Amino acid sequence: MAATLTLQRVAGQVSRWPPAYLVFAALLLALWATRPHLLQLGIMGTFIRQAAPLGIVVLGQLLVMNARSIDLSCGGVILLVNYLLSSGRLDDASPATMVGVALATGLAVGLFNGLMVGRRRVSAVIVTLAVGIVLVGLVEYLANGKPPGNVPQVLRDVYELRPAGVPLPILFWAALSLGLSVVLSRLVFGRWVASVGENPVAAHFAGVPVQRTVVMAHALAGLMAGVAGLVQTASLAVGSVRFGPELVLNSVAATLLGGVIFGKGSGGVLGPFFGVLCFVLLFVLMTTLGISEPGKLVAQGLIILLAAIVYGLRTRTA
Amino acid sequence: MKLLHLLRGAHSRQGLWVLPLVMAALVAAWLAMRTATFLDSQNLLNLVAQATPLLLASLGQLIVVLIGGLDLSVGAVISLTTAILAADAPVWVLLPMVYLAAATIGLVNGVAVSRLNVHPIIATLSTMSLVQGATLIIRPVAGGSVPEVVLTMVNAVPLGIPMSVWWSLAAIAIGWKIVHASRYGLHLYAVGGGAAVARSYGIGVERVTVGAYVLSACFAATAAVFLAGRITSGDPKIGELFAIESITAVALGGVQLAGGVGSVPGAITGVAFLALLANGMNLENLSAFVQTIVKGLILLAVVALQPRKNIGL
Repeated sequence: MAATLTLQRVAGQVSRWPPAYLVFAALLLALWATRPHLLQLGIMGTFIRQAAPLGIVVLGQLLVMNARSIDLSCGGVILLVNYLLSSGRLDDASPATMVGVALATGLAVGLFNGLMVGRRRVSAVIVTLAVGIVLVGLVEYLANGKPPGNVPQVLRDVYELRPAGVPLPILFWAALSLGLSVVLSRLVFGRWVASVGENPVAAHFAGVPVQRTVVMAHALAGLMAGVAGLVQTASLAVGSVRFGPELVLNSVAATLLGGVIFGKGSGGVLGPFFGVLCFVLLFVLMTTLGISEPGKLVAQGLIILLAAIVYGLRTRTA
Repeated sequence: MKLLHLLRGAHSRQGLWVLPLVMAALVAAWLAMRTATFLDSQNLLNLVAQATPLLLASLGQLIVVLIGGLDLSVGAVISLTTAILAADAPVWVLLPMVYLAAATIGLVNGVAVSRLNVHPIIATLSTMSLVQGATLIIRPVAGGSVPEVVLTMVNAVPLGIPMSVWWSLAAIAIGWKIVHASRYGLHLYAVGGGAAVARSYGIGVERVTVGAYVLSACFAATAAVFLAGRITSGDPKIGELFAIESITAVALGGVQLAGGVGSVPGAITGVAFLALLANGMNLENLSAFVQTIVKGLILLAVVALQPRKNIGL
């Protein structure tokens, strides 16, 4: 009797967790069962390092999604940053200039999104989708369909650093996550984001500057996309004009897996962090099992849908 | 101020506003003056043929947007349909399969949104990924051949008028019947205006929602049957731009993305404008990249002119 009660309580607790924790555990188990030799710190470190750009984009995504908005333009920002840094125009520039260009690009796009969504009250889906399309078109026009030149060596060198054996991009990602976590849980801005997400009208009457909060959230998300573009560029030897779309989808999916869903969530920063790790494990598992790209798309779609259904049923209120 | 409201169609349930009509007319006039070939009946018929798939997809999108939803999976459904049609099987197996697949996808979207409380963007985004993956498994690269019957259905010229015109007329008639001349259409507006109120007046909100997503997927499948007849083969990537283009078209036509406001004439206007624009840019020899940029900027400009009450999504 007591045992079943405890079991029920445990089950109740577990069902309140973000789906990411359970999926992560399941994937880890599956990987351990099929390819145990891959579960080494060095190997996993390399895989996780590749996910750092996604992880950083997710930080921005979870911020806007907590404020009941969405950013679908992050793929375009990353592409533009990648193009600007690898087109050869900034080859002689100092590293500080490169970082500055990346951050300014992201911030400008984010601010534009924020003003359109917050001030003009345009649907965030449409604005960020359109901005993303314009940016992708712009890069393809500038590059004329050809991949741009090489990535500056400085960026490559920094990317390869491994202080205390841990790849630098992972440390950077973890530090940014920690920072955002502090902002969301300790600063007034974090409370504003939470209350706007909970109920924009109530937040407005409670004296929260709703418009400014939305604008700032989007500006920060753009900034994160700029940073992600910088890390993504550093991870590649040569520039590319063909990535981004799947990154946008994955960032929304990872945030969702992490238990953040348009203001109603409770995943914090750690949930989406594990959401990204889920994608790393999923990628490793499917690659080692020889599942091709289409199979990955199917699995990804299924996982997002199932996670959303589980979460939707739980948060359903009459 | 009053005039401005009228131009915006601010208090109209139809959402028809003058701006897109004027813009479409201006683009058409500009094209007619600039290029000698524009008013050529061949060019105009080409225009209709190019616009027909988008018209079909946009009418489906309109139905979903009217209830305050959004269907991002139409592009993937279109790709899947052309892939199925190019499979090696008799046509009486393929065509029912196409609509069965589309209806199933619409059903998944609709049930996820209405019964399982999933946000429309997330539901349709994940089915988009799922369907795109399945399409690439069926047909990794463009190829195969579409049954002869489908080719005839699309490329014949009965009574001296190409099939694309007949398809467009039929699509408009069916769309009109559903949205403006049926009880179901009235329910669409009611649900989009306010689901809770609609429910308290005895409307089966869940049923209406599921129906809308199924209809959208079936319209998309029809668009793809037409497309397949034009390109004569299956292409797993052909639908890529249809989600965004159909949303652009309905937004241009004054359909409010928050739901409850919009009309078939509005969607037609949006499609006509996009088609004219594409035609003009092709005649001007602008690259595909520039065309994408222009379309994105126009979408931004149009939605910025339509203020809403809600903030965020």
